[in-house]
Amino acid sequence: MIPLTYYLILSSIVFSIGLYGIMSQRNGVRLLMSVELMLNSANINLVAFSSYNDDMSGQVFTLFSIALAAAEAVIGFAILLSIFRMRDMINIDDINILRW
Amino acid sequence: MENYMLLAPEIILALVGLTILLAGLLIGTNNKNILGYIASAGLIAALCLTISNISVNETMFYGTITIDALSQFFKIVFISVSLLVTIASIKYTEGNKNTDEFFTLLLFSTVGMMVVASANDLITLFVGFELASLSTYALAGFEKNNPKSIEAAMKYFIIGSLSSALMLFGISFVYGMTGTTSIPGIAENAGALAASPIGLIAVVMLIAGFGFKMALVPFHMWAPDTYQGAPTVVSALLAAGSKKMGFVAAFRVLVVALAVLSPTWQTAFAALAIITMTLGNVVAVSQTSIKRMLAYSSVAQAGYISMAFVVMTPMALTGGILYTLSHAFMKTGAFLVVAVVGYMVLSDNKNAKDIDHIDNFKGLAKRMPLTAFSMMVFVFALAGIPPTAGYMSKFILFSSTIESGLVWLAVIAILNSALSLYYYARIVKYMYFLPASGGKVSEPVPYAIAIILALAGVLVIGIWPEPFVYWAMEAAKVLMI
Repeated sequence: MIPLTYYLILSSIVFSIGLYGIMSQRNGVRLLMSVELMLNSANINLVAFSSYNDDMSGQVFTLFSIALAAAEAVIGFAILLSIFRMRDMINIDDINILRW
Repeated sequence: MENYMLLAPEIILALVGLTILLAGLLIGTNNKNILGYIASAGLIAALCLTISNISVNETMFYGTITIDALSQFFKIVFISVSLLVTIASIKYTEGNKNTDEFFTLLLFSTVGMMVVASANDLITLFVGFELASLSTYALAGFEKNNPKSIEAAMKYFIIGSLSSALMLFGISFVYGMTGTTSIPGIAENAGALAASPIGLIAVVMLIAGFGFKMALVPFHMWAPDTYQGAPTVVSALLAAGSKKMGFVAAFRVLVVALAVLSPTWQTAFAALAIITMTLGNVVAVSQTSIKRMLAYSSVAQAGYISMAFVVMTPMALTGGILYTLSHAFMKTGAFLVVAVVGYMVLSDNKNAKDIDHIDNFKGLAKRMPLTAFSMMVFVFALAGIPPTAGYMSKFILFSSTIESGLVWLAVIAILNSALSLYYYARIVKYMYFLPASGGKVSEPVPYAIAIILALAGVLVIGIWPEPFVYWAMEAAKVLMI
């Protein structure tokens, strides 16, 4: 059996990639992908813990969070689409009317 | 057999939301005004049902939902805010073909907040949190041809989804170390979490996740942009409603479930509270947009409320909980006044830019006496001047801080309150002592009703606080087991 630590290391790597992506990427779609990575790293954790604790609620939680991540992506793309319609680009560095 | 009557407010609001969505397909744009009245009726029914079950204490659905004094208190806060916003939106959405979506999203976000308030399980809490967040992302971008509104929605979405990812990651560690997602279960098994360094990671992630919703510095970056860019009625919902959702979630998860780790999060909240109130007040001083100023003032208020997490005596929690109620009325009222002023400016000049600029408040007392008077009461309440709700809640919160020996914290908070008076008084100066630039305007009726209700809330809590204080105490008792 693969030790629990391996899963936790994997999930923290995926989480860090997602966090780095959110901080460094400027394209709206890449940002959404980074958020999905972060959510999925939490899902890996939940499933791994669930299997090692012999408790189903972690897997149930993962199903909920997958559904919510899908809903979140839909809202995100809807917002990006309306930006694209208005400005023909989704580079978030150029969306800066509101500041200080 | 579950007692579904206890969940009736949520069920009613969800059904009314769906009904409005369907009805919107069938009726023409000109008749969509009626949808706002249906939504208000649903909210009033939900409010009455919640108040009638105020002293119930029960858990339902295998312990995933709990109905207790704390949940009922926060549900009333959320429904009141939502009701005020809905009434005002009847005018705001007039003639808009997406009126049905607006009210549906508003009701769904209210349901989400209410689910968070009565969540007794991390799964329920997370689902409610996401329901409220997703609905408000869409609401913030409601004016889809207005670049500011879309920008506000995008910033809110990116930061919001980051915060839910952080929260979920924290929750996964809490689940892993305690082996359960039920909040009382976590409280029993939290010893293992406290003993391992993973507990620290989990607490940091959870504080970050909730902190984004509460708009604590350094997680506040989205708040001023979103409150300024979003439609003003939606800003009222965000500042007064969705911010409180962060607090009730933090009360449930940190204070009840992770009470063992309290030294860790009390230190974190002490630092966060101080920088939040200081930065919020200092930056608010230099704002020329009223919406942005109110946003920073709202950041500062979150700093005061989070003092309750630092002090953690029953009296301080009472003060914090009472503060959420008074802040809901003050902030909704203030944002609705800004909405009325925006309406006035737009009816003067259709192409006006910067409708939330402070110059538009010049001579407001002559142009709209009722609105100007209400705004004066709201800003004085936010500053904490008697006899308003803000004074009562600040008095309880600060005096309990001093009683428990944290004099330095109380001194910083009081200095901050004094500083905040500067920018609140500036609005009053603009309204009452500068010349008006137009004739008298009468407020649209829905806005006037919503503002008068908020005004009544602020004054009633300020003048006759006993029942509200007692009731906040009951809610605080839930946290002190």
